[in-house]
Amino acid sequence: MQQMDQRELMTLQHYLKEYGQQAEIFVSQLEMLENGRMEAHAAIEALEGMLATEDGIVLLQIGGGASVRAKVLEPEKILLSIGAEVVVERSNKEAVEFLKERIMEMEASQKKVAETLDRLRSQMNEINKRLESGYQQSAATEQDQD
Amino acid sequence: MFGGLKEKLQAARNRLGTSIQGVVAKQEPPSPETRTAEPETPLPQQKTISSTAPTFVDKVKVLIIERELIVSEKDISEALAELEMTLLESDVALPVSDAIIAHVRTNLVGKHRKIGESVDALVVGALKSALLEVLGKGFNLVEYVKTHAHPVKILFTGVNGTGKTTTVAKIGAFLKKNGYTVVIGAGDTYRAGAIEQIGVHAERIGIKIIQHQEGADPSAVIFDAVQYAVSHKIDVVLADTAGRFHTKSNLMNQLEKIRRVMKPDLIVYVDEAVAGNDAIVRAAEFDRTVGADAVVLTKADMDSRGGAAISIAHTIGKPLMFLGTGQGYDDIMPFDPAQVVEDLLGSDT
Repeated sequence: MQQMDQRELMTLQHYLKEYGQQAEIFVSQLEMLENGRMEAHAAIEALEGMLATEDGIVLLQIGGGASVRAKVLEPEKILLSIGAEVVVERSNKEAVEFLKERIMEMEASQKKVAETLDRLRSQMNEINKRLESGYQQSAATEQDQD
Repeated sequence: MFGGLKEKLQAARNRLGTSIQGVVAKQEPPSPETRTAEPETPLPQQKTISSTAPTFVDKVKVLIIERELIVSEKDISEALAELEMTLLESDVALPVSDAIIAHVRTNLVGKHRKIGESVDALVVGALKSALLEVLGKGFNLVEYVKTHAHPVKILFTGVNGTGKTTTVAKIGAFLKKNGYTVVIGAGDTYRAGAIEQIGVHAERIGIKIIQHQEGADPSAVIFDAVQYAVSHKIDVVLADTAGRFHTKSNLMNQLEKIRRVMKPDLIVYVDEAVAGNDAIVRAAEFDRTVGADAVVLTKADMDSRGGAAISIAHTIGKPLMFLGTGQGYDDIMPFDPAQVVEDLLGSDT
């Protein structure tokens, strides 16, 4: 194997750092997607639960861990943000369907981001291996000189 | 890329086609004698588009004499409402989806269609021309560099974490591949490691970089990059800058100073396609404060909705120049509206 010089080692360290930064961005994107997915699941549960209750009373969180009992006047009419900052009125069932579609979209995006992250990590592993062997070669050279 | 939008547009296209197909059933006269009683009239070769809503008499006359059908607004109103929802759900901005709907409506209502002629071709034609209208003409950077005095100075702006530095490197590699010499000004002196990052990119693609210490005045770095380009007869200067949110007035003032010092030929706003409508709002803000001549959207390969790419040119009135489509230096695609429309609607025509 060809001997690596200090400059090459430094370049590899830079690569590793850069890949690390990119990986962090993808990890935070994955987290955002997961949060969105969980939120949509919770919304579906709430929408379906609302129809199941007879009196239409739900617990409404008002922040700080406090909740109040609130009566939903129209559990069949849901105001739904569909994208592009547009809110439309949909039936409960349509809103659930819409959210399920969104979940599928988010899962597809998660898969893509995860694949990219995997590729990035395997490249990082490669760089790590090369760095390790570079360090070992440098150490061996230093010992020989001593 | 934009797989979700493609799927939804396909559904909307089928829906519109079905609506128009329905017109045939409704307008077909019940008695065959009425049709055969007409003398053999040569069919007109040219289809005409009437801007006014056709009356019932017009419809019957055209159907009997010319063996054609006329599409009315009522025939397609439901399908258009669905198309509007489809576009909004794909994060296409409201004014843009309005423009698309209006264009499709104008294109289809009053349209004469020969019996037996493909409905799909009619619908796809209307959708394609509507999309092409909102997508604008794109921006050919190579042509721009070719036709402008050198060095062409390009300033990159945008918010944090959207892939601006990587985009600068990709565009550097793209220009180099097209035979131009490039120098990069490492103007992001704020983010830890940004100078190193762009330095590594520049070394990998074999482009000269001008850099100062971390925390230095970015205007000074970029000024030096321009001076270097002038004295070494370099074709293009690419100026990277630190990411900033348009709400931070001190950082926006700094960008304004860079602009005054550099006197850029082009200001390119970089954002991520996955940000959807947020990217459009931010691009409009940047355009208002420091200006923007073109837009690059990164991470387009991860965006299934495509809303930002469809909306940005029409909303802020600035062309989309490139789409970032991956991690490699070659993963950047000059934005060609005709190609994008073909990808979205063309495969099954």
